[in-house]
Amino acid sequence: MSNRIVIDPVTRIEGHLRIEAVVENGVVTDAFSAGTMVRGIEKILKGRDPRDAWAFTERVCGVCTTVHALASVRSVENALGITVPKNAELVRNLMFCAQYVQDHVVHFYHLHALDWVDVVSMLKANPVEAAKIAQSISPWEKNTPGHFAAVQSRLKKYVESGQLGIFANGYWGHKAYKLPPEVNLLAVSHYLDALEWQKELVKIHTIFGGKNPHPNYLVGGVPCSFNLEEVNAINTERLNHIGSLIKDAITFVEQVYIPDLLAIAGFYKDWATIGGGLQNYLAYGDLPTKGYGNVDSFLLPRGAILGRNLNEIHEVNGKNVEEIKEYISHSWYKYGAGDGVGLHPFAGETEFNYTGPKPPYEHLNVEGKYSWLKTPRWKEHPMEVGPLARMLVAYAKGNTDVKELVGAVLKKLDVPITVLFSTLGRTAARGVETQIVAHWMKNFYDELIANIKGGEMNTFTRDKWEPASWPATAEGVGMTEAPRGALAHWVRIKDGIIDNYQLVVPSTWNASPRDSKGQRSAYEEALIGTPVANPEQPVEILRTIHSFDPCLACAVHIYDPKGEQVHQVQFY
Amino acid sequence: MPQNRNIAIRIIGIGNLLLGDEGVGVHVIRHLLDHSNLPAGVDCLDGGTGSLVLLEPLQTAHRIILVDATLDGAPPGTLRRLVPKFSSDFPPSLAAHDIGLRDLLDSFYLLGDELPDVILFTVSIAEMQNMVTTLSPEVLAAVPLVAAMVLEEVGVVDRA
Repeated sequence: MSNRIVIDPVTRIEGHLRIEAVVENGVVTDAFSAGTMVRGIEKILKGRDPRDAWAFTERVCGVCTTVHALASVRSVENALGITVPKNAELVRNLMFCAQYVQDHVVHFYHLHALDWVDVVSMLKANPVEAAKIAQSISPWEKNTPGHFAAVQSRLKKYVESGQLGIFANGYWGHKAYKLPPEVNLLAVSHYLDALEWQKELVKIHTIFGGKNPHPNYLVGGVPCSFNLEEVNAINTERLNHIGSLIKDAITFVEQVYIPDLLAIAGFYKDWATIGGGLQNYLAYGDLPTKGYGNVDSFLLPRGAILGRNLNEIHEVNGKNVEEIKEYISHSWYKYGAGDGVGLHPFAGETEFNYTGPKPPYEHLNVEGKYSWLKTPRWKEHPMEVGPLARMLVAYAKGNTDVKELVGAVLKKLDVPITVLFSTLGRTAARGVETQIVAHWMKNFYDELIANIKGGEMNTFTRDKWEPASWPATAEGVGMTEAPRGALAHWVRIKDGIIDNYQLVVPSTWNASPRDSKGQRSAYEEALIGTPVANPEQPVEILRTIHSFDPCLACAVHIYDPKGEQVHQVQFY
Repeated sequence: MPQNRNIAIRIIGIGNLLLGDEGVGVHVIRHLLDHSNLPAGVDCLDGGTGSLVLLEPLQTAHRIILVDATLDGAPPGTLRRLVPKFSSDFPPSLAAHDIGLRDLLDSFYLLGDELPDVILFTVSIAEMQNMVTTLSPEVLAAVPLVAAMVLEEVGVVDRA
């Protein structure tokens, strides 16, 4: 009999994702991904003023807060036909870029690196040797023997105290860890540097959004007032601060993140053939330069790739009811027209139908319904979303920045482009994207400063602000890209209030269960063929799942209040 | 790493406003801001589901007072005052915050900063509720009580 491994929760941080994987002869032969938590944002929004929706959606998730606010204001603007002023577009883009750079770096060091880096091994490292290696790949100022020795001794104390804390769940000493102790030391040292640095970068959100966490957004623009001389406005001092944070971000990404990524990847090239999974990629795109309505102006382009064919990019339309549909064959919901049909989010209906075992349970019934996530499909195809999808779409569309950097990374690692279709490729794509976005952030900043210096201070349009100016009914979609993948909010406004509001979040695309045809979604498919040396310590499964940057706390949601079964859902 | 600690006491309420009682920490902050005149040097923060964003607020105060919900099995509305030394001293299930409070505190300790005094007030809740932004009667009744405990804590520090 085969051995079914259960990983629950799978996130190193607290989360609500459960993976069941069947392992035969040391290889995963089947896998099931389940969201074990349900959340009710859509129900909360019904009946509210659509201009307030962003403040609620922003609370859905602690990691991608700003992108939910962005998707929300866009959906309302899209429904009402509002185009935001140029400065508002630039500020939104700057907040978007800051979120990307912070989130991707945090993901790499805090959520993913420990799948590759053995923290305990670094205690044996020679700090002088570690500094030599570090200095050979980067001019980062903290790559000194003294700094590395200090980090090592701090970690030693921490480990000896028995309070492993954030490192408690690692499979230290597992033979899948390939890095020499010195590279492990370098990575752990940069893990701590990243913690310190990220908290500075997010001040961009505090300055533009007025507060943090959960910065302010605004339908019709951004709630920023520019006045170079005024103490309480976004003045010269604050703009200079943002400029220096952006400069530091580029330095950190280029001197720490990217060199570490390349150094670590060099030891794990076998992972360029593992974890590819689906052959279809979907990106909604973002970073408009001529308005959200002008998709061709997006720096991150929109499109779909099927069968890994980079010669053909398919157009994607969020409002076309034949494109994006959600299925529930294996999800704990029921549809009026039967569980086999798919519904576009505008026509979405959801009723809880929990048929799973009463927790705590050993295994889910994977023949039936087994997840609180619905199964989204694009034209019936299962799609992977995230940095890899975005970079592939941009690459295939001929974006010069992306083509150049992807080419350089492939050359450095001496591997062909097909390695991108893998666990390692996913992780590398996130790094490539971070570097490009950090530079775009600088460009947006320069453009904003030039506008302000030229006297252009407007950040908000009152056009269609008053509900009296709205049509009786209106529908809109706000599409964006969360750091972990395509995110969209669909809103229907009736008589000035929200009549229906729905989200399809990136982890729903990637972590959902099979569809009615039995097609696996991204996590499940990517795990097939993954080697597992020791079923007691399945670090290999974590590598592939973490390469997607799971965020299950925001992936599970409902549309309908009926459902007493919620109470049976356990929190882990 | 030495930080500029420019705040004497920072009160941080943690929680998700979309999960009913789980958001009680944020409700307590709102209550404090609406009903109290906090002395100079005392700062209130709606920590929401803020995760690593909260690292700096933790690093820049001499004393931290956290308010959070807990699923510890006690009757809903039960209040506790804890002085945690390690993240593992934190009560179970502060789980809906993505990067949880425990992870945050671990990161904080790892950075080797001189620790501020951390005091944690917990409010026991019966379950995570979905689709509600309001509190159950038991937990709602606890809000002014926790707020009063927090104010007493602030007062004690002031006299010290």
